[in-house]
Amino acid sequence: MRLAAYLLPRILAALITLFGVSVLVFLSLRLLPGGYADILLGPFVTPEARAVIAQRYGLDQPLVVQYLRWVWAMLGGDFGVSMVTQRPVIAELLRRAPVTLQLALIALAVALAVGYPLGVISGVRAASRRKRRDFGRVVGAMGASVPDFVLGSVLIFVFSVWSLWFRVGGYVPFGVDPVGNLRTMLLPGLTLSVFGVALILRTTRDAVLRVMTEPHITAAVARGATPGAIIRRHILRNAAIPVVTVVATYFGFLLGGAVIVEVLFSVPGVGLYIFNGLLNRDYAIVQAGVLLAAVVFITINMLADVLYALIDPRVGAAR
Amino acid sequence: MTAMTAPLVDIADLVIEYDTGTRQVRAIDGAALQVFEDETLAIVGESGSGKTTLGMAAGRLLPPEARVLGGRIHVADVDVSDADDDALRRLRHDKLGFVFQNPTTALDPTMRIGRQVALAMGGRPAPEAIAELLSRAELNEPQRILRAFPHELSGGMAQRVVIAMAIARSPQLLIADEPTASLDASIREKVMATLGRLRAESGASLVILSHDLRMIARHADRVAVMYGGRIVELGAVGQVMQAPAHPYTRALLAAAAGNERPGERLRPIPGTPPILESRCEACAYAPRCAFRETRCETERPEPRAFAGREVVCHRAEAVIAADQSPRQEAR
Repeated sequence: MRLAAYLLPRILAALITLFGVSVLVFLSLRLLPGGYADILLGPFVTPEARAVIAQRYGLDQPLVVQYLRWVWAMLGGDFGVSMVTQRPVIAELLRRAPVTLQLALIALAVALAVGYPLGVISGVRAASRRKRRDFGRVVGAMGASVPDFVLGSVLIFVFSVWSLWFRVGGYVPFGVDPVGNLRTMLLPGLTLSVFGVALILRTTRDAVLRVMTEPHITAAVARGATPGAIIRRHILRNAAIPVVTVVATYFGFLLGGAVIVEVLFSVPGVGLYIFNGLLNRDYAIVQAGVLLAAVVFITINMLADVLYALIDPRVGAAR
Repeated sequence: MTAMTAPLVDIADLVIEYDTGTRQVRAIDGAALQVFEDETLAIVGESGSGKTTLGMAAGRLLPPEARVLGGRIHVADVDVSDADDDALRRLRHDKLGFVFQNPTTALDPTMRIGRQVALAMGGRPAPEAIAELLSRAELNEPQRILRAFPHELSGGMAQRVVIAMAIARSPQLLIADEPTASLDASIREKVMATLGRLRAESGASLVILSHDLRMIARHADRVAVMYGGRIVELGAVGQVMQAPAHPYTRALLAAAAGNERPGERLRPIPGTPPILESRCEACAYAPRCAFRETRCETERPEPRAFAGREVVCHRAEAVIAADQSPRQEAR
């Protein structure tokens, strides 16, 4: 009952957000210079041919009508058909989703496995010292400010000169060839994880630093608890609250399709699909892809909200 | 009182400074204090007087900015400023119990009370033992409180939980920093009474840090008045309250509500407490003192025995004399 009262406003807010996203996606695509007809027929084309294409796809209707038709169809489960391949968009997206999911899981696992412990260590060390500068902050700042395409390009360069073990491109499903799959997926996964490591490291570090100054930690020290017990019992859980937020945001961002990294490493995931759809002005792909990414993102953030309430008993009880 | 045995706490010539980044602030300026077994000592002073620094120093619980520059702190025969981390942890674990000012922040907000109390008791106590400990701290419905989270308790209940945790391992020394300051006025007295009863039952010593001289007087055997990082007056509560020998003690009593006569005004202490940056070579209270004379501003007063107590004042005789005549008339 309390959970429902806690979730209901969030679900409402999520629906409003989704409406906003759908309008934005729809409009921004329509406002891009050049339409599907230009891409399909090329620059030297008669207005008549253009009109035929526009009419066939309903592009001659007013924007409001186009929008409402789109939303209505989606409510019925129809996310449209790719104008280029004439295949249902939803099927294509679902086919590529596992690839993006795997990439996201690799990046998230690495980011958590490296970022969280480093953040805890960095925070604990910083709190017990008088001067609060240390390498954790430097690494965090650097990792967070290096763009994916720079890092990815550097990695591709390095591994194309010394091929080592990794491969760029040539994706095979994990079920078919696990080793071959990892050879192509680890590099893009690692590239994506660097930002996550930095993000989680910094958030964890700041959270730990803040928790360490709370009186209940002093109280635990005063009871003669060992540092290990204090970290395990009191710090990890209290510091996890802001970390859950950024992890959820980061994971949602990864699932939405890490477009640049997928393009760079030719990973056939959702991001690459949307990217190609955008190049072709294949409206249905981009619209459905971005909207579904938003749905995933919002859902994950709502799960994070539930997770908070489980970690911090004060959250669910507040009014 | 057992003033003959070796003191439980022996602090001498203690100097502590805080490094604020831009300058050094001296919080303790040569303080000396002993706490004996089975007694309640109140340390009284305004905020900034150094009482919290002194109390926390007894368990080496000071923040990393604090520096102990001199003197010694012995607690239960352990040299606190010299002990290694392990010895210090054993001292805190076996001999010390702390009660903090704000009970709701002194408890882990994400952990149920039962588990926190169990951790304080050590080992794996049975639920009945935990409930029994909470009952000793005069908490009704201990079963319900065991399952509660800290934010679900009132301030008074939370402070009783904190007190229960502090006495869980029968410490020899309890240090309570403003234990009732964050509570409603109506329950302060009751919580203090519980703390005092538990101390008496266990035979531990209790050090209360407080700004409220009158409230503390009802619960302490001895009182130490702090000013400018030093103990300026130290003696039995009755003596000090009846006839203060330090002008600051006298001003504190006049400024506090309690037993003023109808129509009498409370007199706030003029001026502000000093912020020292090095050893004070005069009387730190001189700028605010009504009794000061030239040497108060040039000569650092040293502790001396006077009128059955210890006082750090050049003018103690004059201070006591000033109170004698009107008080006797009133009686």
